[in-house]
Amino acid sequence: MRATLAIARKELSTYFTTPVAWVVLVVVAFFSAQVFAGALDGFRLLTSRAGEIPGGAALLDRVNLTDAVVARLLASVGLLLVIATPFLSMRLVAEERRSGTFELLMTSPVHPAEIIAGKYLAALGVLAAALALVTLLPASLTLVARGAQGGSAVEWPTVAAGLLGLFLLGAAALAVGLAFSALVATPVVAALLSLLVLLGLWLAGMFTVGAGSAARNLASGLSLSEHLAPFLQGRIALADVVYFLSLVALGLFVAERAVEGRRWGGA
Amino acid sequence: MIEVSGLTRRFRERTAVQDLTFSIGRGAVVGLLGPNGAGKTTTLRLLTGFLPPSAGTVRVAGFDVFEQPMEARRRIGYLPEIPPLYDGMTVREQLRFAADLKGLPRARVREEVERVAGLTSVDGVLDRLTANLSKGFRQRVGIAQALVGDPDVLILDEPTVGLDPIQIREVRDLIRSLGGRHTVLLSSHLLPEVAMTCSQVIVLNEGRLVGFDTLDGLVARHLPGRRVTVHDIAFLEEIFGKLVTPA
Repeated sequence: MRATLAIARKELSTYFTTPVAWVVLVVVAFFSAQVFAGALDGFRLLTSRAGEIPGGAALLDRVNLTDAVVARLLASVGLLLVIATPFLSMRLVAEERRSGTFELLMTSPVHPAEIIAGKYLAALGVLAAALALVTLLPASLTLVARGAQGGSAVEWPTVAAGLLGLFLLGAAALAVGLAFSALVATPVVAALLSLLVLLGLWLAGMFTVGAGSAARNLASGLSLSEHLAPFLQGRIALADVVYFLSLVALGLFVAERAVEGRRWGGA
Repeated sequence: MIEVSGLTRRFRERTAVQDLTFSIGRGAVVGLLGPNGAGKTTTLRLLTGFLPPSAGTVRVAGFDVFEQPMEARRRIGYLPEIPPLYDGMTVREQLRFAADLKGLPRARVREEVERVAGLTSVDGVLDRLTANLSKGFRQRVGIAQALVGDPDVLILDEPTVGLDPIQIREVRDLIRSLGGRHTVLLSSHLLPEVAMTCSQVIVLNEGRLVGFDTLDGLVARHLPGRRVTVHDIAFLEEIFGKLVTPA
């Protein structure tokens, strides 16, 4: 536990004394702000022009700020996380091996699982910071707008479910990235491999056009985006939570085995 | 303190270390000597548990390095070939990190950092980044790190490589002073180094142990009738040459 926290602290300080975490945070903040502004503009256009088209009033009854703006924002953040997290996880183990500090960790009275846990905690910390930045966007809406009944402009329970989904998605992506960082020797290769796998999982549903229903079920069962979707609509389903947590467990297990196995592979 | 029995390590077809058996008593300072590629680093990595052996056992302070790795590792301080320092850390942070990894009681960490920094004369650079230190200082911080927690056994892989002559003398004095309190095993390809710091010498060649004795014993066996002093170290080169070249 002590060693885990020391490693987590060390990794966090590395994240913020090198550009890595800052770049990821800036990229997430910049692109999510762009998507947010775009969605907000679209929503404004829709509400101001709805009266001019036939059936527009009925349409207005069915859209709200949370679905039209915040859910769209969070869906885009999902893809951003898939692209950004490999860069957070890439050097966690690979860099230690490259610089020789791996030998310090592996000859200290610390179990490989403690090493992996410390590194993973630090990465989750950066993920949480990124999501906190994203949360500022819907929070800003509550400052300037009111709901139809005078309540909050944003349905916070839905937003919270969406953020939980994103956190689980990011946690799964970081675990996969950590596994690759432990498996391969160079950080850049680890990043590329995890990006490949994560994008593959994100887009899994699209690869089955024309395939049988069994293949389609399998693909959507594996798809990151399809397991994220219910969260964005405010639904927290056990199956989706279990899916993300399984990926976390699998990634961490592979990472721990790989660190232990490094020993047997030689240097 | 260190008992090695039948220790063998193969990398695919290549046998790096073959059937090493020796034991080192408490408080001894032992030099591991051998030409490049003799298996010195591999031997030290096997002793610290960084590499698993293909066969044989290593016991440190009574604990099998592979059966009870945590117990054994708590009693070993290790300086690898390249000092394992994090570029983004100051010397103080680096030593604290090592103390955390070793599981030192929190209350003792500050005091322990001061102690090892004092011993290795890095107390003047505690707040500098390790990345900005000269090679000699990096090496000394590496030794300080190995000393954290006052381990029974110190395993030092080429502790004076890259140091200037004055630093070499300082490190030599330091190592000599560590004997008695710690059991020290250091590798080196510098013969004067070993002659001046070590009470016993293990000579490796092509992964095999070709000599293990005190300096006096080596002289008596290989240069019978010759009187030598520490200041006349050429004798060790002669013995070394005899041991590593086939007769």
